[in-house]
Amino acid sequence: MKTTKILLTLLCLFTLNSQVSQAQVNQTCTLLKDDIPVLAGGRVKPYYVLAKESIKFLTGKSSYNNEKPGLTFCRLLLQNYTETSINFPILIEHVKTKAFLELNEDETTLGSQELLTKKELIRSEIISLKENNSYKKDLTKLFNRIATLEKIQTAQALTVYTKTDSTNEWKSLSELSFPSLDLVNKAIEESKSLYTKDHGDDYLLELTYVKSHIFSYALLVALVGIFLTVLMKNNTAGVVASILALAMQTAGMIMRILISGRAPITNMYETVMFSGFGALIIALCILYFKRDKIFLLAGLGYNILCLFMMMFANNMLNSSISPLVPVLRDNFWLSTHVTTIILSYAALALSWMVANITLFKMRLNKLTSKEYRYYQTLIYTCIKVGIVLLAAGIILGGVWADYSWGRFWGWDPKETWSLIVLLFYMVIVHGRYSNWINTHRFIILSAAGFMTVMMAWFGVNYILASGLHSYGFSEGGAIFLGSFFAVQIAILLICGPKSNFKVNNND
Amino acid sequence: MNKIKNLYNLFEATLSNVKFAVVIISLFTIALIYGTFMESYHGADYANRLVYKSWWFILIEIFIFLSVFMATVVRLPPKKRLYGFYTIHAGLIILFIGSFFTYINGIDGSIQLLPNTPAKKIVINEDLLKIHFSKTNTEYKLSLPYTHKKINIDKTIEQIQIEDYIPFGENQIEWIADKQNMRQQHSSTYLLFNQNLSQKITLSLSPDSDFKSMQRMGLLNLHYMPSILKDCFAKKTQHGFILWHLGTGECFTAEEKNLPVDKTEKGTRFLLLKHQGEYLKFFPDVSPVAVNDDLTKNKNTPYRVLSKKIFEEKPNLFLFGEDIAFYDKSKDDWVVTDFKNGLAQLPWMNFQLRLLKHSTTHYPAEVPKAVLPVQENGNIIKGNLKAVKIKFYNKTYWVRNDGPLELTDGKNTIRLIITPKEIEIPYQITLDRFKMNTNPGTNDPASYESFIHLLDGRTNSGLEKHHVFMNNPLKYDDFTFYQSSYFQVGPNQYASVLSVNYDPGRFFKYLGSLLIVLGSIWHYILNRKKRKVSA
Repeated sequence: MKTTKILLTLLCLFTLNSQVSQAQVNQTCTLLKDDIPVLAGGRVKPYYVLAKESIKFLTGKSSYNNEKPGLTFCRLLLQNYTETSINFPILIEHVKTKAFLELNEDETTLGSQELLTKKELIRSEIISLKENNSYKKDLTKLFNRIATLEKIQTAQALTVYTKTDSTNEWKSLSELSFPSLDLVNKAIEESKSLYTKDHGDDYLLELTYVKSHIFSYALLVALVGIFLTVLMKNNTAGVVASILALAMQTAGMIMRILISGRAPITNMYETVMFSGFGALIIALCILYFKRDKIFLLAGLGYNILCLFMMMFANNMLNSSISPLVPVLRDNFWLSTHVTTIILSYAALALSWMVANITLFKMRLNKLTSKEYRYYQTLIYTCIKVGIVLLAAGIILGGVWADYSWGRFWGWDPKETWSLIVLLFYMVIVHGRYSNWINTHRFIILSAAGFMTVMMAWFGVNYILASGLHSYGFSEGGAIFLGSFFAVQIAILLICGPKSNFKVNNND
Repeated sequence: MNKIKNLYNLFEATLSNVKFAVVIISLFTIALIYGTFMESYHGADYANRLVYKSWWFILIEIFIFLSVFMATVVRLPPKKRLYGFYTIHAGLIILFIGSFFTYINGIDGSIQLLPNTPAKKIVINEDLLKIHFSKTNTEYKLSLPYTHKKINIDKTIEQIQIEDYIPFGENQIEWIADKQNMRQQHSSTYLLFNQNLSQKITLSLSPDSDFKSMQRMGLLNLHYMPSILKDCFAKKTQHGFILWHLGTGECFTAEEKNLPVDKTEKGTRFLLLKHQGEYLKFFPDVSPVAVNDDLTKNKNTPYRVLSKKIFEEKPNLFLFGEDIAFYDKSKDDWVVTDFKNGLAQLPWMNFQLRLLKHSTTHYPAEVPKAVLPVQENGNIIKGNLKAVKIKFYNKTYWVRNDGPLELTDGKNTIRLIITPKEIEIPYQITLDRFKMNTNPGTNDPASYESFIHLLDGRTNSGLEKHHVFMNNPLKYDDFTFYQSSYFQVGPNQYASVLSVNYDPGRFFKYLGSLLIVLGSIWHYILNRKKRKVSA
C-alpha cells in the first residue's frame, strides 16, 4: 500500500506521458549506448562506467540478473515512464542493519520497493544513534544507496550534453522534463556527437580501460608465472611471465594516468596496485644481482596478493576514479612522495615475504645452517632498500608539508606512523649490529615488522581515521587488518619458537 | 679530576653504545604509538600537550640526539668505510639542530582575513589570560601553561587570585548553597519528554545562578515562578489578573481586592492598584509592569501583574518548583497540579514532565570541570572549554574562553578574558576575494583560492597583489602564508584563513634530510664494496 503511494508521488514529480510501451523503453535503452558521455561525480565518463559503478554500489554485485549494467540502469531510469516497477535488490551489509530491517543474517539484499518505504525509518534511526560506530556508518551508507536509487528513478542521475539557447551544457533528464520518450531519445542520440565536437573523445579511453579487465589478466599471468617458477628448475619462464604481467599492469596504470590526469597513487586501490607493481620490479632487480629464485617467488607472490585484493576486496578498495581533494592537487609532490613511500612498502613487503618463506622452511626443517644465514642476508637486502626509500619518502613528505601546509612535521598520525615503521626497522638494524638480535630473532622481527607497515598504510585510515591525511579514509578495512595481524601472529607463534626447528646455527 | 673523567667515560660508553640506541629508539617508538592513538581519540591539541610537546618526550629526543652524537664521536677519527655512517649521523645532528631552532624561535600561527578588511594580527596557538583594570587602564597578560590536565597556577594579580587552569573542560551543573537563603529564590531541574524527544531543563529564580527563569522550547514557553504564586493560579477569577508583591511574595487576584478594571477607548483593559497613597496603573494584557502617566514603564514599584488570558492561546507552561499550571484548551480552564510520583502529564503532544530536582537552599551554577576531550570525525565534540578559576573578594568566578568576564568593586571594572596570543606583523594584508571552485556537477570543493593585496608601510612598493591557494603559498618577509581554511560571513561572502609560518630551522632541516638520504645510500654502497673485497 505504502509502496504504491510512494510510487504515485514519484509519478507526480515526474512529468511524463504514461502511455509508454515496453517496446519504446527498450528502444531508448538500445540508444543509450555504453560510450555516451555523462557527467557524474564531478567527472565526465562513459555511460557504461556510470551504470556499472551504480549497480555495483547498489547491489554489491557487478550485474543484476546477468543483464548488461547499461540496460539495468536504463530500466531503472525509465521505470516511471512505464509504470512498471522493478524490485531491485539493494545490498545490506551490517548485521545490526539486517536486524533493524527484520532480515535474516544470511540475507544480503532487500528489495528496493520495501526499502524505499523504510527510508524515513532509517533516517530517524541514524539521527537517534549518538555514537558514530560501524552500525551508524553502515546505515548512512544504506541511506546513500537509497538516495542514489531515488536519483536514478527520478532521472536525476543521468546527465546528457544538450543544446541550449546559447551554449551546449550538461542537463539531467529530469531537468529537461521531456513530455515523451521521443525527445529523450533525440537528446541521447545527439549527446555524444555534440560532446565530441566540443571536447574531443578522450573520455572513451575509460571505456576501453574498464572493459579490458587488464588487471584480471595480469593476475592470471602472474599466477601462471608463480606455478612455472615453482615447477621449473630455472627462472626463465617465471621471469618472462613476470615481465608480461608487469607490462599489462603498466598499461593499466598508464590508462588510469591518462584518464585521471595524475599519478596513480591517490587512494587505497591505487596504492595497493602500485605497491604490487613496485615490489615485482624491485624483486626482478634484486634477482638480477642475487640470482635467487626466492625473490621471484616473493615478488610474484606479493604481486598476486595485491591483484587479489584489487579484485576481491571491493568493500575496502574502490576502483572508481574520482576527483582529488584540493590539497593533493600537485602532481610533482604527489608522484615523488607517495611513489617513494609505496615503493619502500613494496621493498619491505618483499622482506616480509622472504622472512615468512624462511620461517615456513625452518618449521619444515628444510634449511641448512648455511642457507639460513644466506636467507637472512636476502631479507637484509630488501630491508636496506626499504629503509632508504622510506627515509627518503618521509623526508619528501616533510618537504611537501612544509611547502603546502607550512610545517615540516606536525605529528599527524599518518606521518607519525610512517616514522614508527622507519624506527622499527632502525631498531632491527641497530639491534643486529649490537648482536642483541641474532639471525633467528632477525627473521622473526622482519616478518613481524610488516605489521607496522600495514598499520601505517591501512591502520591509520581504518583504525585511527583522523588527521590531515583524511583523504584516504573509507570503511571495511578494520576486519581485513585484524585478520592480517591474527594470521601473521599465528605464523610467528607456530614457526617462530626456536625449539620447533633444527638448524645447526652458532649464533 | 679522575672521578670526573671516569664519569665522563661511563657517560660516553653508555650513550655511544648501540644497545643504548636500540633501547632509546624503542622507547621513542612506543611513545609515538601511544601519541597516535591519543591523537585519534582526543584530538591533536591534547596529544601534543600529553605526548609530543611534553617534557619526557623532549627528554627522549635529547637522549636520541646524545646517542647519535656520541656514537659519531667515538668513531672518530674518520675511517673510510664509515663515511656513509658519518654522513647519516651528521645529517641527523643537523636535523636536530634545525628542529631546536624551530622549537625556540619558530612561529606557527594563523591570520584571519575578513573580506576587504586589512589584517595584521597573527594568532598563535598559545593561551593568555588577559586582565584589564579600568581605573589604571593597565593590562596584565599571563601565559597559561601548556598542559593537558587541570593545573594550579596560584598567582595573585592585584585583588585577583588566580587559582586553577583547565585546558580541556566542559560546563557542568553544580548546586551551590545559597547564603541568602530566600525561599522564593528556588531552582529546579525537569525532564521534558515524549516518545520522540527528551530534554533536561534547569530553571532558577536565583540572581546568582547561570540559569534563567524563562526558556523557550520550540513552540512551548516555560515560565519559572515563585512557588507562592501557584495558589493564585488556582483561584477562580473573572478578569484573569494575578498580582503579586516582589518583596513579600504575597499574591492576589483583582477580584479579591476589588480592584477596578476598565477599558481604554481602544479597548485595552487596565487596572488600578493603590500603593503608598498613589494609584498604580497596569495594562496587564500588554506588560506586567506598572506604567507612568506618560505611558513609560515604572519598574520601581514592587507589584507585578499577569494576565492569564494572553497565555491561553499558545502553549505556555508555568512552573512553581513542585507545582505546574497550564491552560487546557479541551477543558477551557486553567489546571494547577503537582507531580504525582514525580510525573506530570502535559496537554501538548503527549509531553510529560518529570521533576528531577528542586531546591530552595541551593542554586544551580555552570561550573567548568576538567574532562578528557573527545574527537569524532576530526572535530572535538567534548572538552572545547578552557577555563581559569579566580577569586575576587573571597568569591569564586570562572573565566572562560567563550567570552569575557567583568567584575567590579565599585570603583574599578576588571575585565578578564582567555584569548590566544597574538603577534603583529609590520604590514597589512587584505582579502579582496575568496574563491572556491567545485568539481563540475557536484558540491565537492576542487580548490580554495584567496586573492589578497599586501601593503607594507616600510617600503614604497605600494600595493602588491597576490594569489594564494593550496600548494601555492606566499612568501614575504621571512613569513610564509598558506591557504588553510575559510568560513562564510554573509551571502556569497567568505572570509579566508591563512596559516602563517616562520621557521628559522628550515635550512638545517633540509640540509640534514639531504645528508641522511645521501648518507644511507653511500653507506650501503660502501658496505657492498667491502663485502665484495672480503669475498
